[in-house]
Amino acid sequence: MVLTDLKIHQKAVVTKVNIANALLKRRILDMGITSGVVIEIKKIAPLGDPIDISLRGYQLCLRKNELSQIECEVIK
Amino acid sequence: MRVCLVGNQNSGKTSLFNALTGMNQKVGNWPGVTIDRKEGIVKGTDLEIIDLPGVYSLNPFTSEEKITRDFLLNEQYDVILNIIDSTSIERSLYLTTQLIDLGKRVVIALNMCDLLKKKGFHVHEDILSEVLKMPVIKVSALKNEGIDKLIKTLESIDKYQLSNLKIFDDSIEKAVTELSPNIDVNKRYNALKILEEDNLYLKKAHPEAEQIIKSLTKIYNKGLDEVIADERYNFIVKNKNLFFHSDRQEETISDKLDKVFLNKYAAIPIFVVIMTLVYFLSVGLVGNFTTGLIESLFDLIKTSLRSGLESISAWPWLISLICDGIITGIGAVLNFIPQLIILFICISVLETCGYMSRISFFLDRLFRKFGLSGKSIIPFIVGSGCSVPGIMTARTIENEKEKKVTILLTPFIPCSAKLPVITLFTTFFFGSLAWLASVSLYFLAIIIILLSAILFKKVYMKDETEHYILELPEYKKPSLRYVTRDVAEKVWSFIKRAGTIIFVCSVIVWFLTSFSWTFQYGVDIENSILASIGSILAYIFYPVIGHLSWAATVSALLGIVAKEQIVSTMAVIAGLADNVSNGSLIFADSGIFSFFNGVNGYAFMVFCLFSAPCLGAISAMRKELNSRKAMFKAIAYQTLLAYVLASLINGIGTLVMLII
Repeated sequence: MVLTDLKIHQKAVVTKVNIANALLKRRILDMGITSGVVIEIKKIAPLGDPIDISLRGYQLCLRKNELSQIECEVIK
Repeated sequence: MRVCLVGNQNSGKTSLFNALTGMNQKVGNWPGVTIDRKEGIVKGTDLEIIDLPGVYSLNPFTSEEKITRDFLLNEQYDVILNIIDSTSIERSLYLTTQLIDLGKRVVIALNMCDLLKKKGFHVHEDILSEVLKMPVIKVSALKNEGIDKLIKTLESIDKYQLSNLKIFDDSIEKAVTELSPNIDVNKRYNALKILEEDNLYLKKAHPEAEQIIKSLTKIYNKGLDEVIADERYNFIVKNKNLFFHSDRQEETISDKLDKVFLNKYAAIPIFVVIMTLVYFLSVGLVGNFTTGLIESLFDLIKTSLRSGLESISAWPWLISLICDGIITGIGAVLNFIPQLIILFICISVLETCGYMSRISFFLDRLFRKFGLSGKSIIPFIVGSGCSVPGIMTARTIENEKEKKVTILLTPFIPCSAKLPVITLFTTFFFGSLAWLASVSLYFLAIIIILLSAILFKKVYMKDETEHYILELPEYKKPSLRYVTRDVAEKVWSFIKRAGTIIFVCSVIVWFLTSFSWTFQYGVDIENSILASIGSILAYIFYPVIGHLSWAATVSALLGIVAKEQIVSTMAVIAGLADNVSNGSLIFADSGIFSFFNGVNGYAFMVFCLFSAPCLGAISAMRKELNSRKAMFKAIAYQTLLAYVLASLINGIGTLVMLII
C-alpha cells in the first residue's frame, strides 16, 4: 500500500521510502518522512493534487507522484 | 562575537533577528522569506548577528538553502543560534542534530511557545537543555520576550561546554570515529556525509570508506542516508516525552479556516474575491476622494509659490521649472499615496497571515498544466507590491527552468508603481467601475502569464516540474506593529523615489519640453526637443493608441525609469501644453491628451503594464537570471508582447465601438 491509497483523514505508518531521485529522497527524509512515522491525510487540493499530509506536528504538501512512491500500512 | 541565526523556514528567524538588532527586515508567514544573508549588531554588545535563509536540513535543495549550508561550513563564526519553532519541534530539532555535527557551540531559542500553549502543549526547556547538552532559552520573537536572557546567554557562551551528543547506533558512531582522523575540516559532518554517499568527491578521497559503507549497508539492509535520517528522528522521538507535554489535541483553528479557504468548490472563487477586494479597496474605495485632497494641497503650494516668485520677479524659466516641472512632476505621483497605503496593507496582511501558501497549494495543479508550479505563485503575489522582491523570491523554486520563466513573468503582475498609472486612467475613464477595470488588468496579467508559460514550455521546457514540497503553516493573526512598520517603510521608499528619481526625471522632461534644439526657452511645446524626438517614435507607437501622439509615446517610454514616472511625465507635459494646473485635468478637453478614451486608454495601460519593467526590476532580473543575454531576451519578449497585445486591444476595441 502506498500513501496515495489512503482516504482523507486516514492514518498510516510509513514502511519504506522508494523515491528513485536521490536528492528528492534526501529531502523527503529530511522533512521527517522516515520509516515508522505516522502520517495523516489532511487535505486534498480542490483540483485533486497536491495533497496536504500531517506528520510530526506539522503539515506538508506533496504531489501524488511522490506520495505514490512511499509505502505504508494503515492504522486501524 | 559572530552569531549565525539558523532555523527552519518560517520559524520566525527574521522576527528574532529584528528583535535582537532592532532592525525591521521583511518577515512573512510562508517558507522562504529570507533569501539572502543579512547582518546586524545587538546594541550595546559585541554580538554580531548573521541572519541566514531558512533551511530544513544541511542538505540544500534550493539555491538559497545552499547559501546557509556554505556559510556554516566555510565561514568564520563563533556560535550557532538555532531557532526552534515549538509548534513543529520534531522537525526543527532534526536540523539541530545536524548543527551539532559541525562542532560549534549551539544555543537554542525556543520560539512560538505562546502559540503552543494555546494548543495545549508545553515544552520543558530545562529538560530539553539536558537532553541536547546545550543552553535552551524560551523566547517570543514577535512579543519581544526572553530576548534579554538570550543575549546574556550568548554573551556568556564560553561558560558552557561544547555539546558532545552522540545520537547514532554504535556501529555508525564507530564508522565516524574511524573516518574522522583523515578528514581535515568539519570532521564529524564530513564523515557522516561520506557514509551517506552524499559527497562523492570526499568518498573518492577516502578509499577506506568503501568497505565501511558496504558492511554497514549489509547490517541495516537499506541506504545509509535513510539510516542516518531515521536515527536522528528516532533520537528526537525517543526523548520527546521527556520535554514535551500535550494535554489535548483537537481540530485547530487553522483546520477550521481551511475547510472554507481550501474548500473543493469555494477555494478558487474565494481567491478571486480576495484579489478583487485588494483592488476594490485600493482603487475603488479611496478613488478620487483623497486624490483630490492631496491635489488641491499641491495646487495651493504651486499657486502660492508662483505668486511669491513672481512678486520678487524671478526669471520666468525658474518659476516654470519649479512649478510646472518639479512640483507638478512630484505631486502627480505623491497623489497616489493613499491608494498605495491600502495596497501595501493588503499585501502585508496576505504575506503574514498564512494564506499565501494556501494559494500556492490549491493552484499548483492548474499552474502545472502550464509548465509552472504552485511555487511560482509566491513571487507573483509578492510582485504585486514590487517586482524586485518578487523576482528575488523566485530563488525558492527548485527547478531551474521554472525559476527562469517565473523571473521573466513576475514583472507582468501590476506592481505598486503601476498603480498610479492604473488609477489615473481607470478613475477618469471608467468612473465608479474603476476598481473593476483595475481587477481586469490583474486577471489579464494572470492569463498572459499562463499563456506565456505554455509558450516557454513548448520552446524549451520539455519536462513537467517534477515535484512540489511545501510546508503549510498555520494561519496567524498579522502583527499590527509589523504591518504598520512594513507599510510605512514601503511608503517612505516611494516618497524617497519621488524626491530623487522622479525629481531628476521631471526636471529633464521639463527642460526637454521647454526648450527647442537651439536652446531657446519658451517655445511652443510642439517645437520642443522632446516633441521632435517623440514625434518620430510616435509612428511606432501609433497602433497602441491609434493616434500620433509624441506626448503619450515619451510618457510610456519613460516608464522604464520608474513606472510612476509615466504619470509624472504626463502631468508635466499636460501642464506645459495647456497651462493645466490640476493633475486630474490631464485628460482635459482639447488638451494634449484629450484623444484618450476608454479603449486606447486601456490599451495604453496594457502596454505600460507588460512592457519592459523599470530599471530596478531589470537589474534584479539580470542578477537572478545570472546572464545579460537572458535579461535582454526577457525584456525583448516583454516589450514585444506588450506592443502586440496593446495594439490588438486598441484595434479590436475601436472596431467594436464603431459597430456599437
